[in-house]
Amino acid sequence: MSQPARPRPGSGLSPLVPLAYLVCASAAFLTASLSVSWLAPELAGHYYHPRLLALTHTVTLGWVTLAIMGASYQLIPIVLEREIWSERLPRWQLVILAVAVTGMVAHFQLGTWPGMAAAAGLLAIGIALHLLNVGMSLRGFTRWTFTARLVALAYGGLALTTVFGLGLAVNRVWPFLPGELFPTLHAHVHLALLGWVAPMILAVAARVYPMFFLAPAPRRGHSFVQLWGLTASVPAVVLGLLGVPGLLVVGALAAAAAAGAHVTWVWEMASGRKRPGLDWGLRFVLTATAFLVPAVVLGVALATDRLAGPRVALAYAVLMLGGWISLTIVGMMLKIIPFLVWYRAFSPRAGREPVPTLAQLSCPRVEGLAYALLAGGVALLAATVFVGEPIWIRAAGVVLALGALAFVSALARVLGYLFCHRGQAVTSSSSSAAGAPTWPPHSPRGA
Amino acid sequence: MMPGEVPVARVHLDVREDIQRGREPFARIMTAVNALAVDEALVLRVPFEPIPLYGVLGKRGFAHWTECHAPDDWSVGFYRDRAPSREETAPGAPARERTVLDVRGLEPPQPLVRVLEEIDRLGPGAELEVHHERRPMFLYPQLDERGLIHETDEPEPGLVRILIRRAPA
Repeated sequence: MSQPARPRPGSGLSPLVPLAYLVCASAAFLTASLSVSWLAPELAGHYYHPRLLALTHTVTLGWVTLAIMGASYQLIPIVLEREIWSERLPRWQLVILAVAVTGMVAHFQLGTWPGMAAAAGLLAIGIALHLLNVGMSLRGFTRWTFTARLVALAYGGLALTTVFGLGLAVNRVWPFLPGELFPTLHAHVHLALLGWVAPMILAVAARVYPMFFLAPAPRRGHSFVQLWGLTASVPAVVLGLLGVPGLLVVGALAAAAAAGAHVTWVWEMASGRKRPGLDWGLRFVLTATAFLVPAVVLGVALATDRLAGPRVALAYAVLMLGGWISLTIVGMMLKIIPFLVWYRAFSPRAGREPVPTLAQLSCPRVEGLAYALLAGGVALLAATVFVGEPIWIRAAGVVLALGALAFVSALARVLGYLFCHRGQAVTSSSSSAAGAPTWPPHSPRGA
Repeated sequence: MMPGEVPVARVHLDVREDIQRGREPFARIMTAVNALAVDEALVLRVPFEPIPLYGVLGKRGFAHWTECHAPDDWSVGFYRDRAPSREETAPGAPARERTVLDVRGLEPPQPLVRVLEEIDRLGPGAELEVHHERRPMFLYPQLDERGLIHETDEPEPGLVRILIRRAPA
């Protein structure tokens, strides 16, 4: 008997493509979380340390960038209503990026700069392929909504961050850049944060959060402040850090205004939502947004010289990278991955026979455990790197690592539906999923 | 039993805990609806008034009554009242039965599931008009795989209309 054809979202893009990116990103997240305890002595010192640079790039490139790229292959068709131009390119791109990120992290760890610069070159090629694919997918695009503008800003930011980072890598081998090391490094970090990651999160949030919370999209005022605050902050903060007096404070305030508008909108949306109960993915997203508040306060304090030093800078980095960005990605992955698995394994049967819901594919107990450990671990890590006591940093690292393990276990359970024969997957799910809702649902008679 | 008469035999379904835990109860509700005998009513216990469900089941010929026990505790009964609603196409065009399905305000992937459930019941010559908030990019490949013809337009902001019908044999 013939099987129904496997579905392909958009223009033939297999759900396995974004899933492969998200699995690689999760592996990087697990690696980074497991290494925090091991790097406790370094985290109690100055952040400019080869091993901490390795940890930072595991998070920023391996986790955050791969996750965003993978998610974008699913979300561009949804939020921008465009088909992905090439399916083959993302497969090659993932191989290149995985090798490049591994190479960069390994060479940072070893402190060997020529190898790191070569890996950075490979990374630039991988990113260029992504930009090419997205650019071709958006050819002739005319509906410049709030989300579309922020996505364009994000990809511009990604291109500039890549060029800047490649310049820094080459500069380690053949010095050519003017200026001091730390301001240049800070400018690179903030170009990536404000130019690439923040606009992408704000863009996707504006379209995707209302779908899941069953709530309205941002009002015009919120959208305006988020878009123009972020757009103004990128050049102002970067040039301010590179030595243009006065611009840093202006840029920091513009970024704070954008963040404030985002937090206010998320708060209003969550308060006025039609959806009565929240799953763990949405709780992650809300908690992540709450982490943005202390992160921005510390960022503004650092920009205005109210606070200074590596302890505050590390706490700021943990709150921003671990709190806002990572918990947002974790929350979105707990929504995206079940959908992709469901789409691949069950959507051909939808309408023809009963199929499980997304909630029935996931395991709320493990997700709840991941939530408690990851949110608690990040808060603890921010506090302990601020204090700078290695033993407490190690304890926070253990909590974080357990949270990452729980998160990866929750994802593995969902991904397991891909590897079973589809018929078996359906029948076994009702009996083997401990603590999970049964499927197919029992007869309602007498319920 | 005459059409429109409220049945005495009742099937009860409580989905308050599902909703409390963030689970989507729609599949359970539809399973219960599909299993109803002609002379049975489904009494649904929910933590809010399920207004979108009135339209969905109304199109399938179900009437409803509502009781509010508390702001977060409602009982809603559904029973067969008439044949499912159909709209005729514009005069001059070949006569086609058209069913309208509004999936706005549903959490993904419920719009996809609901459309696929509805098109499975689509007879020859019948059309399904879907009202959506956005272009359903994940639905189109499914329609293509199932040999359905579809057209999309946006008659007003916030409304994407997809017209689906079976390809001629």
